[in-house]
Amino acid sequence: MDLIANLATGFGVALTPANLAFCFLGVLIGTLVGVLPGIAPITTIAILLPFTFTLPPASAMIMLSGIFYGAQYGGSTTAILVNLPGESSSIVTCLDGHQMAKQGRAGPALAIAAIASFFAGTIATIIIAVASVPLSALALKFTAAEYFSLMVLGLTGSIALAHGSAVKAVAMVLLGLLLGLVGIDVNTGLPRMTLGIGELGDGIGFVAIAIGLFGISELMIALSRPQDRTLLSVALSQLWPSRKELKDCLPAMLRGTAIGSVLGVLPGGGAALSSFASYAVEKKTSATPERFGRGAIEGVAGPEAANNAGAQTSFIPLLTLGIPGNAIMALMVGALMIQGIQPGPQVMTAQPQLFWGVIASMWLGNLMLVILNLPLVGLWVSLLRVPYRILFPAIALFCCIGTYSISNSQMDIGLMLLFALVGVFFVKVGAEPAPFILGFILGPLMEENFRRAMNLSRGDPMVFVERPISAALLVLTALLLVVLILPAVRAKREEVFQE
Amino acid sequence: MTRVNTADLAFGLFLMSVAAVALYLIADLPMGSTSRMGPGYVPRALAVMIALIGAFIAGRALVTTGEAFPEIAWRPILLVGAAVGLFGLLLPRLGLAATAFIVVLVAGSASKDMRWRELLLIAALLSTFAVLLFVKALGLPMPIWPVV
Repeated sequence: MDLIANLATGFGVALTPANLAFCFLGVLIGTLVGVLPGIAPITTIAILLPFTFTLPPASAMIMLSGIFYGAQYGGSTTAILVNLPGESSSIVTCLDGHQMAKQGRAGPALAIAAIASFFAGTIATIIIAVASVPLSALALKFTAAEYFSLMVLGLTGSIALAHGSAVKAVAMVLLGLLLGLVGIDVNTGLPRMTLGIGELGDGIGFVAIAIGLFGISELMIALSRPQDRTLLSVALSQLWPSRKELKDCLPAMLRGTAIGSVLGVLPGGGAALSSFASYAVEKKTSATPERFGRGAIEGVAGPEAANNAGAQTSFIPLLTLGIPGNAIMALMVGALMIQGIQPGPQVMTAQPQLFWGVIASMWLGNLMLVILNLPLVGLWVSLLRVPYRILFPAIALFCCIGTYSISNSQMDIGLMLLFALVGVFFVKVGAEPAPFILGFILGPLMEENFRRAMNLSRGDPMVFVERPISAALLVLTALLLVVLILPAVRAKREEVFQE
Repeated sequence: MTRVNTADLAFGLFLMSVAAVALYLIADLPMGSTSRMGPGYVPRALAVMIALIGAFIAGRALVTTGEAFPEIAWRPILLVGAAVGLFGLLLPRLGLAATAFIVVLVAGSASKDMRWRELLLIAALLSTFAVLLFVKALGLPMPIWPVV
């Protein structure tokens, strides 16, 4: 079996002491930022990106991906104990998880969250391993036309799933694409929109933009809100859920895993959406829907399984096609490119160590997370007592050091500041930055493939619909757009994003 | 409520001005043909689309009512912004130890419930920590002490 051999390769890489250490560091940091409200995994990954420069590619990816799925575990702790979502993907966990805590069942709530996450993480790891080989094989048949259409689909997906107005999300994608083109044109060597600044020849620094938009600007916004949080003082005497509770949760966990695995792969999807969808499904299929919102354990198990599964399967498009499906994956592309690796279907064959090592590390990371989150939950809770006024100057400093260290450039700090201010503006006018960053990453790739496809077809745009795979991708895009415009879906979409 | 949707109007105008700046900057770049696109082709297409969407959002904002433009808390924006700016200006001259101290002080004063004594302590600790972690342990090429 190839799968076994591949996974053996992967575990061979992931189990080296150094990579185990990086995996542990990743999930530890992930849990930390997951627990703390106000620091998102995307910010953390952006800040840590520059420091992965010197690491081998596999170690860098193992650590960065650990932050992402680790945050899904940590987020639930805060949701259950403080009724504040540590992450956007744990918003629904607040509903029933915090009620359980109020009823003195914080222990089982935390335990089931961790168990469900681990269960989903294990299955999602297997799904990634099984699905990626055929997908990569398919992707190797892709020509420029297919790549272009795939990116169109991906960007449309990110628009469909963006919070708030879809028109604004379209504008943000286009804005990202345009800014992504700043720099020397690869085909002609002519500088574009560089204002004559030499440093902009390589394009606008990706790290500077990401940290500005997600790190500094988030600080500026968060500081304008009141910062108090009330910690529920709970006795965590009994941690384990009863046998009956476990039995009640199993179907919810299975459904949550399935929902998360599917929604995670979708462009623009990921953890947050998966947890919402799972909660809705659990409530709808339950024989006793009135228990939801009053401490139903299935309302914790389902979404927690879903957000972890979604977080992990969102790696599939990145690992197999080289196309990031959401903003965090866009950062991962940045991380790979810093390492000199062009993400794409060739990574699996050219860098099997990296590819399978990252996948194997996900399962190991999930195992570490269960241990980190259950027996050590008290430690994380005490972290919540650290006031934000102590935390945020440190974040500001790390953002600066991270951005500067990319190329010791004052210019990058200036760009970061500029995009922090622009980011505050975006938030104030209700335009989400995630589609922007996705567009920014895809801009050069999309232009390149568009120009190449049009060149090969001698200027005939029909090439995008004449090739079957490309046509299928565009049909999917069109369907997505139609669904987006349907009034019923629009109302529903706004309702879902009301939170 | 205001007579126009100010937030949308601002965003629409922002998009239109970005598009205008981009079109001005790429004015000299050759378009090429559809089969051999020049460097100006795609950026120009994008800029035009952005301008159109901007016009649409701004136009729609003029005929719909909306909330007043959301309140902006200037204190954190200015102080955190200043801290970032100072980092860029000071680091090459003052070195990381002093720069980190100043940056933490300035950024830290953005919080309303800031306490001076506590902040000084945090600044000193973070400055030490940053030097040890980033320069000593991770080996980033930054000066620690002021460069003469």
